[in-house]
Amino acid sequence: MATLTVTQNFGKGAADLSVYKSLGGYSCLGPKLFDLSQFELIDLVTRSGLRGRGGAGFPTGMKWSFVPRNSPKPVYLVVNADEGEPGTFKDHVLMLEDPHRLIEGMIICGWALGVRSAYIYVRGEFLKAIETLNAALKQAYDAGLLGQNIQGSGYSLDIFVHRGAGAYICGEETALINSLEGYKGQPRLKPPFPAVSGAWASPTCVNNVETLMALPWILENGPAAYQALGTAKSGGTKVFSVSGDVKRPGVYEIPLGTPLLEFLNSPQWCQGVLGTLKGVIPGGSSAPVLTAEESAKANMDYESLASLKSMLGSGAVIAFNDTRSAVGMLASLTRFYAHESCGQCTPCREGTGFADRILKAVVRGEGRDGDLDTMLDLAANFSYTTICPLAIADAWPIENFIGKFRPEFDALLGSNAGHADPRVTSDFRPGAFW
Amino acid sequence: MSHCHTKVDQPHASEILPKLETPKVLSKVEELVRRYPVPKAALLPVLWIAQETLGWLPQEAIRWAAAKCKVSPVHAYGVSLFYTMYKKEPTGRFFVQICQNVSCHILGAEGIIAHAEETLGVSSHGGTTEDGLFTLLRVECLGACGNGPVLQINDDFATDAVDGELAMPEGVALTAERFDRIVAWCRKRASELPSEPARDALGGLFETHGHPGAVAASSEPQKQGYAPAPPALGLAATRTESGQVKLAWRAAPESSLLHLETRSGSKDFEVLATIPGKDKDWTGDLVAGTEIRIVAQSGDRRAKPSNVVKVEA
Repeated sequence: MATLTVTQNFGKGAADLSVYKSLGGYSCLGPKLFDLSQFELIDLVTRSGLRGRGGAGFPTGMKWSFVPRNSPKPVYLVVNADEGEPGTFKDHVLMLEDPHRLIEGMIICGWALGVRSAYIYVRGEFLKAIETLNAALKQAYDAGLLGQNIQGSGYSLDIFVHRGAGAYICGEETALINSLEGYKGQPRLKPPFPAVSGAWASPTCVNNVETLMALPWILENGPAAYQALGTAKSGGTKVFSVSGDVKRPGVYEIPLGTPLLEFLNSPQWCQGVLGTLKGVIPGGSSAPVLTAEESAKANMDYESLASLKSMLGSGAVIAFNDTRSAVGMLASLTRFYAHESCGQCTPCREGTGFADRILKAVVRGEGRDGDLDTMLDLAANFSYTTICPLAIADAWPIENFIGKFRPEFDALLGSNAGHADPRVTSDFRPGAFW
Repeated sequence: MSHCHTKVDQPHASEILPKLETPKVLSKVEELVRRYPVPKAALLPVLWIAQETLGWLPQEAIRWAAAKCKVSPVHAYGVSLFYTMYKKEPTGRFFVQICQNVSCHILGAEGIIAHAEETLGVSSHGGTTEDGLFTLLRVECLGACGNGPVLQINDDFATDAVDGELAMPEGVALTAERFDRIVAWCRKRASELPSEPARDALGGLFETHGHPGAVAASSEPQKQGYAPAPPALGLAATRTESGQVKLAWRAAPESSLLHLETRSGSKDFEVLATIPGKDKDWTGDLVAGTEIRIVAQSGDRRAKPSNVVKVEA
């Protein structure tokens, strides 16, 4: 059995404080934490090799080190629990099963950065998780684990839950900050980065739920032990949410560097693929898709997937078999990005809607020769021309699905009797907001 | 519901304000405004409270929320339009949202949606049944892909109705039969309960001290004691060969100044020396028996004192 660092309390009723404590929870809230200076704690997290588990995989220790120490303004910690990437559902389960581990991780992070107030931004659909978190926070306040002077250490921390209201883009850290401040969740131009000027123009650290939940284990067992669980460059374990054509979909924590097919076929984890594997989306809907041959070469860590020109992302593995239409999958993805474009930057607002409508025509059997090239042209033009990576997250699936499953698209185009007629693009309204 | 604006009959303010201006709602709003450094930030949760109370968000409720959060009505209206979960028109008692995104799509969400449209006899783009029980909507990823296809009834995930409860057991996906069972559960509930009991839209809001009062979104420095400066840690005193006392501590480079404070007998601590925050040791003459500690300072903020050491003979 592999060592678990985040999900070890699953199924044990750890949402209750007494159960969590009996499982060894909150043990670091004493000299173990409060005798560490900020400097030493950040260094410890850096040495553990922990990387942000929300999608970008940025080293956590380095992110923390960007937060200024001597700021006259308060430092805020904002937990990104706005889990909206299609295929991802790990944070939802983590918050339902082990909310106190998140609170403990937040206290550790708060001590490292000198945070006084922290907010957990939870996706609006997860009302049950918000109820669980609020109940856990209430217990922690009543037990003196939060609020003024935690456990007599002189350190004070308040944690509040903030319910989102349904916008995928709020998972982007600056959009999340705007949403927390009571604005539309539209991303901000960077720099300044949130670490310098984030929520209410104050230094702000935005971390994913899973990242913070790994901290209690790291403090308990030391950074070297955590680093040793994964590969040299990707330390530790990662929680993956598996969906699609596998026998046992669900949330699994595995050491980074595990081969993808071993993960999918292991009796301990997903127990095999239903049917013949056609491809895998390894890191949430924005990650470039892998064909079956590429999947055989892939290991589940940041570097291996990057070498295959894909990414680990949020750890959402979507496996699909040869009965699934790649065109239909891409159509559902482009529709999603057109729907979720926040409307701020023109290339994304106009381009994602345009790509969606062309692909819908193709799916209806009204495709024309040259439609695929138009899609690729659109993708090339709306990626890297916008404030946030949402447009890129749409461009990558378009480029990779068309590039890797082109015969399917061509067959569908060819089935239209009038496929050779030129496409009159002026018949299509651009834009996502129609 | 969608980005298209549809005309909705708006109730007059006199109809909805009595429901909103109740002690229960107002105490919740007060708590929410207290939790953020500026009232504007409470806008999203206050809109949630209004929607919880009224079932949807009429324009007058948005105006009310704007006043509570000290923002302009048009700002609040714009925000309410941006987020898809604020209902700008009334929905049926059971708001059925079926996920159509990629994981659910490959496992047959389109078939379920077609079945739902047929069963309920309404469009999946926000249609409401004539009896006002169901509103059907196809939505993007709900975040429960391991059970795909999934749906939400109001705020609860469901793939089945087991033993009179909505449920989403591990590995159980939605099928046409299970959808029918869920619909039957809803109809049975409608015949037993006259209306849906209210559910706290903020998941059990509890009273806190609120945000501790730093002035944010301005260039004013935070209040004293808002976030304490990091303390110097692990202070230790040793005698050097020349008889002087050497103090050493773990560096606190986050501090701008360090105050060395001494005490002998029953007197209070007094500042002996103030040195730069980057220093890691200090050597000087001290009488045996003197107690010494360090208070770090960062900007205007003073940290809690370090441990106290006694100079040995």
